[in-house]
Amino acid sequence: MKRKFLRLAKKYGIKLLGITAFLGIWQAVVVGFKIKKYVLPSPVQVLRSLFDPTLAAKNQWWTQIAVTGGEILASFTVTLVLGVALALLIAWSKPLNKLLMPVIVVLNSIPKIALAPLFLLWFGYGIQSKIFVAVLIAFFPVLLNTVTGLIDVDENLLDLVHYLNASKWQTFTKIRIPNALPHLFAGVKISATMCVVGSIVGEFIASKKGLGRLLRSAQANIDMATMFACLVLLSIMGLLLFWLISKAEKLCMPWMNREAEEE
Amino acid sequence: MKKRSNRLPGRKGSKLFKAMQNVVSILLFLLIWELLVRVLHIKEAFLCTPSSAIYHLFWPQPDADYHWIVNISATLKEFVISFAITAAGAIFLAVLISWSKAIQNVLMPAFIFINSLPVIAIAPILLIWIGYGLKTNIIIAFLVSFFPMLLDTITGLNAQDKQLLDLVNYLHANRWQILFKIQIPGAMPYIFAGLKISSTLCIMGVIVGELIASDVGLGYVIVNAQSTMDTPPMFASLIMMSMLGWGMYLAINLLERLLMPWSFLKDRVDA
Repeated sequence: MKRKFLRLAKKYGIKLLGITAFLGIWQAVVVGFKIKKYVLPSPVQVLRSLFDPTLAAKNQWWTQIAVTGGEILASFTVTLVLGVALALLIAWSKPLNKLLMPVIVVLNSIPKIALAPLFLLWFGYGIQSKIFVAVLIAFFPVLLNTVTGLIDVDENLLDLVHYLNASKWQTFTKIRIPNALPHLFAGVKISATMCVVGSIVGEFIASKKGLGRLLRSAQANIDMATMFACLVLLSIMGLLLFWLISKAEKLCMPWMNREAEEE
Repeated sequence: MKKRSNRLPGRKGSKLFKAMQNVVSILLFLLIWELLVRVLHIKEAFLCTPSSAIYHLFWPQPDADYHWIVNISATLKEFVISFAITAAGAIFLAVLISWSKAIQNVLMPAFIFINSLPVIAIAPILLIWIGYGLKTNIIIAFLVSFFPMLLDTITGLNAQDKQLLDLVNYLHANRWQILFKIQIPGAMPYIFAGLKISSTLCIMGVIVGELIASDVGLGYVIVNAQSTMDTPPMFASLIMMSMLGWGMYLAINLLERLLMPWSFLKDRVDA
């Protein structure tokens, strides 16, 4: 127990110390050089805008967090389900692969974020349009990575199971899908950031609620403390999603942990 | 994801065949799109045909002038400058950092941390600090694309054959020799992977900057056209952005071929 605590303290202590030092220097610089609040807020001012009852009530933090968090989670779920399902279809059927892959590669090379205004036109200023924007930019990394993982399998292994009369279903569940998992998770991690970016940019361009919207309205009021508070909240949301994914990764690929421990 | 095709004469036909296949399926996609819009009588305010998007690009419209040359050159300028700063800055900083293990141990976790944040959210703050204009968009694009490039380059500079390093140390190679003869050539694949990722991120940054605050550029055309529900210029703008992206991708590939002829040579031997 004590050893575990010490190990944890060593692992996180340095990081915590670094962050505290960084915040301390920031505070000292802002106070010391008398930097105006509308140029750079001090960490204390940022915290106050998050937790001070009157300021917090004005910004309605929980509503904003719920809206943006909802967008991120919804778009991430849709991305994951759609990306993996389409990847399985493409890997399952050769004609589909030949037909769809070139189109997918071309669509992927379009700067998709530029479609955001179009999606606002199509789906209105509500939460749906942000989800669509986020799915659109987050979808391709999951899809392309999973397809690669499903198709790029050791040829010898395929020959072997073919020789053993494995059905297509068995090849998928026993070989292709486990082989695709590391690729899938690499794609999912990219997509997680993309979902956050898509939701924020969608909110930047046009929305009624959400942290991105609050960033823009705070920008109009030159309310720097609120802007930094939004930034902090968005970062925490992004990191939480990341943390969840790495937990899921460990659950889905127990053999990876074993390899890591053996090292 | 696509394996690099080689230049053996036997494979050349299949390469051409594959390229043809790609072109055919893309044309098919555009054709289906065109037909769907025409047959279902979809309103132009909702979705335009690909042909009318291209038409808007090349024939001046009587009711609106989109100043394509001005807008394209503005976006191109932002993109090229931010990408050049990203590439040069990241490689330079990566080399500096890779020289000292101590600095690396302190800075790497910070870079990885920053890289996992939604950097784009800083855009409105930059608008307050720097104001509207080309400069802001360049800085947004730089911030969005810099960290992936930096991390890739550092990884590449570190991923060297230990035995080779031991050998040249034994032969009294100096720091510069190690850098230019071993570390940088060894890091090339990582650097080019980083360049490809950060070029797409750069375009994204430039466009987001133009979308949220700008009075010129392809992103501005899109926002402006959206406010009048004029879809053809939106798609025309999108086509031009994609062209920019493809152009940069091809340029990076060409540079890769020039600077790393050995990696293409290896493919040929393998096949």
